[in-house]
Amino acid sequence: MAPFAYGKSMMFAAAAVAGLALPSAAFADKASDTLVYASDSEPENISPYHNNLREGVIIAHLVWDTLIYRNPKTGEYEPELATSWKWIDPVTLELKLRKSVTFQDGSPFTADDVVFTFNYVLTPEAKVVTKQNVEWMAGADKIDDYTVRVRLKGPFPAALEYLSGPTPIYPAAYFKKVGLDGFSKAPIGTGPYRVTAVENGKGVTMEKYKDYFKDSPLGQPAIGKIRFRVIPDGETRMAELMTGGVDWIWRVPKDQAEQLKAVPNITVLSAETMRVGFLQFDAAGRTAADTPMKNEKVRQAVAYAIDRQAMVKNLAGEGARVMHSACFIDQTGCTDDGVPRYEYNPEKAKKLLAEAGYPDGFETDLYAYRERDYAEAVIGYLRAVGIRANLRFLKYAAMREAARAGKVPLEYQTWGSFSVNDASAFTGVWFKENEDDMSRDPKVKALLEKADTTTDTAARKDLYKEALSMIAQKAYLLPLFSYPSNYAFTSDLAFTAQPDELPRFYAAHWK
Amino acid sequence: MSTTSASGAAATAAAGFDSVPVRRSPLARFTKRAARHPGFMAGAFILAVILVMSIGAPLFTTHDPYAQDISKRLIPPIWHAKGTWEHWLGTDKLGRDYFARLLYGGRISLMIGAATVLLSGAIGTALGVAAGFFGGRVDMVIGYIINVRLALPVVLVALAVAALVGTSLNTVIVVLGLLLWDRFAVVARSTTQQIAHADFVAAARAIGCSTRLIVFSEVLPNIINPLIVVATLEMAHAILLEAALSFLGLGVQPPLPSWGLMISEGKQYMFFSPWVITIPGVALVALVLGINLLGDGLRDVTAPDNRS
Repeated sequence: MAPFAYGKSMMFAAAAVAGLALPSAAFADKASDTLVYASDSEPENISPYHNNLREGVIIAHLVWDTLIYRNPKTGEYEPELATSWKWIDPVTLELKLRKSVTFQDGSPFTADDVVFTFNYVLTPEAKVVTKQNVEWMAGADKIDDYTVRVRLKGPFPAALEYLSGPTPIYPAAYFKKVGLDGFSKAPIGTGPYRVTAVENGKGVTMEKYKDYFKDSPLGQPAIGKIRFRVIPDGETRMAELMTGGVDWIWRVPKDQAEQLKAVPNITVLSAETMRVGFLQFDAAGRTAADTPMKNEKVRQAVAYAIDRQAMVKNLAGEGARVMHSACFIDQTGCTDDGVPRYEYNPEKAKKLLAEAGYPDGFETDLYAYRERDYAEAVIGYLRAVGIRANLRFLKYAAMREAARAGKVPLEYQTWGSFSVNDASAFTGVWFKENEDDMSRDPKVKALLEKADTTTDTAARKDLYKEALSMIAQKAYLLPLFSYPSNYAFTSDLAFTAQPDELPRFYAAHWK
Repeated sequence: MSTTSASGAAATAAAGFDSVPVRRSPLARFTKRAARHPGFMAGAFILAVILVMSIGAPLFTTHDPYAQDISKRLIPPIWHAKGTWEHWLGTDKLGRDYFARLLYGGRISLMIGAATVLLSGAIGTALGVAAGFFGGRVDMVIGYIINVRLALPVVLVALAVAALVGTSLNTVIVVLGLLLWDRFAVVARSTTQQIAHADFVAAARAIGCSTRLIVFSEVLPNIINPLIVVATLEMAHAILLEAALSFLGLGVQPPLPSWGLMISEGKQYMFFSPWVITIPGVALVALVLGINLLGDGLRDVTAPDNRS
């Protein structure tokens, strides 16, 4: 047997197939000033308010600007489309807008655009996918051409954070003219890159916006053209990178990332992200009245059964951290100080199972949608204490619908919080008795609602701590670890990764 | 096909193959001809090795195929510089012993093959014999059903059903069993047609045997040889289909070991740890090759003297 020869020939075969299928791949490199980046999924709609995919968030930050900029290095809020802001009262924020900013069709950016965007996304007809990103606002009013006021529904301490992330500004006149359908085919923003083509199933082409405003905290874009290519298969993405068809890939599994480091002309970078992997239980008992998951001791047993440290070390790799609280630890308001912890202790897990009335374990289904290896490792750990879990591996939308319909006893989930650096972006989705909440504890909900709207920082932190402790104590959700992302790209490219899972191609340049 | 004996219903029923008047016992004749057929012997050997090792898996390995140790992930096999004898075929992505998973996975493949063939064989033979024996309208209706079945692409239907019903070992067996009966039906129908008008069937009718007795003691024993050949080929087919379904994620589900699933999981290590995909791939090729050789050989060995 000659496994190596076989492996190499397969590699060349894969590369050859990829090269044949996509002749345009030859345009990716420094010489043609075109950066081609590849990812596995494509947003259903390129309009940032109308998808909840990471790939959509990346494009949103390339093509559109937000009012406020959060400096990823310092965490400070800096002027972007707004030059200054002040709180008139706890529910009114006044922003002065930057003059001489133009949209990519040449029309000027004014208060009308901000007022239109925010009032539009708050209407039910807009069908915003992640309502939590905008629902804290009550509306926006124009004071003069370069001054707007944003009205809040109630005090919301994370307002600036949301204004610096998932709330890009649309051109009012153009959007009214073409509507959402036209806008998603030929979108326009104020951002550093202009979309030149949106091809369903293939990707998006962008080019540098020459009149991008000079004082932008993002800096001026360096690379002439950027192309986003959708390549669903991980091995194909890697083959394309090695043969020069694409310049940049991410989400490379740990094993392959280590091997890619040895490949010449390819740089591998690992960075932590805000994404947290976790297990969610049917604690509300919606799958069956007698589901073991209703039992607190069973859930705690699961928590004790899983060696999260070993998973971080051997599976997730560099950049991952074990999480103890139901949020990403660096988010504002998130803490694991004093929150109950579950160390790896299979004996204790077996004991708890016996106390709960399952001395011989039980059989269940584990639903998962990504990182199949991690889900299978969880299954292996559960098996060691007697819980026989069968894997149900589904597409994300299918799993989400099954979970919302109350058909999922145990779920392997991940959440990237839209890169919003506030605990509410995590807990608000999974615990406020909304459709994604599988535990549905009114006490947790009440605590979180109070925390989300408390302006006093210390009091807010205490409330989150209380809620997070309750979640951990009852083991409603078992946080596993934060996700690292492994980036691999051509060594011609100067690229730096930030810990929020948001690659900033406008800041990249050729060496 | 041997259809010359007319020694009466009772005698044929007891004898099975014994319808050609020769001096040697049928078993001795079979063994002698089989021993001279290299393809048959090679197939039988491969299949026997895989069968013994899978069924007797605990005798060949002390590792539990489900026991994971993620600190020992992706250990290469013994011929690689970093291999160890403890895991001589290495470990998989979760540190489970690859040899143990291969052996226990073989059980699943063989079980699916055998169960599918039993189910589809029963369906196909029943339909084929009915069509061939009764002829007329029965033949027309069954012929129509066979055509409908032949018009359905197996993999597509299996994928659709697995996606609708959900995936499990039993689903795979039932779906494949309900889809792979067509060749049994076609072969059983044509061979039965030949036999239905033979003298010994007429004789059995003349002495007043019931239709049931004629079918079970006159017809079935005389068409069993070609059906066994079909069964071996269909078994190989079923095993390959299971691997394909598992590869696409709609067959056997983790943590059950299955060769198709192992190949699928090995795909992501293809570039840098090729043995993860090669080992189950080679095993699958060997098993399917063995069954096919055996089936081909069986056809030659059981054919009448002048046609071998």
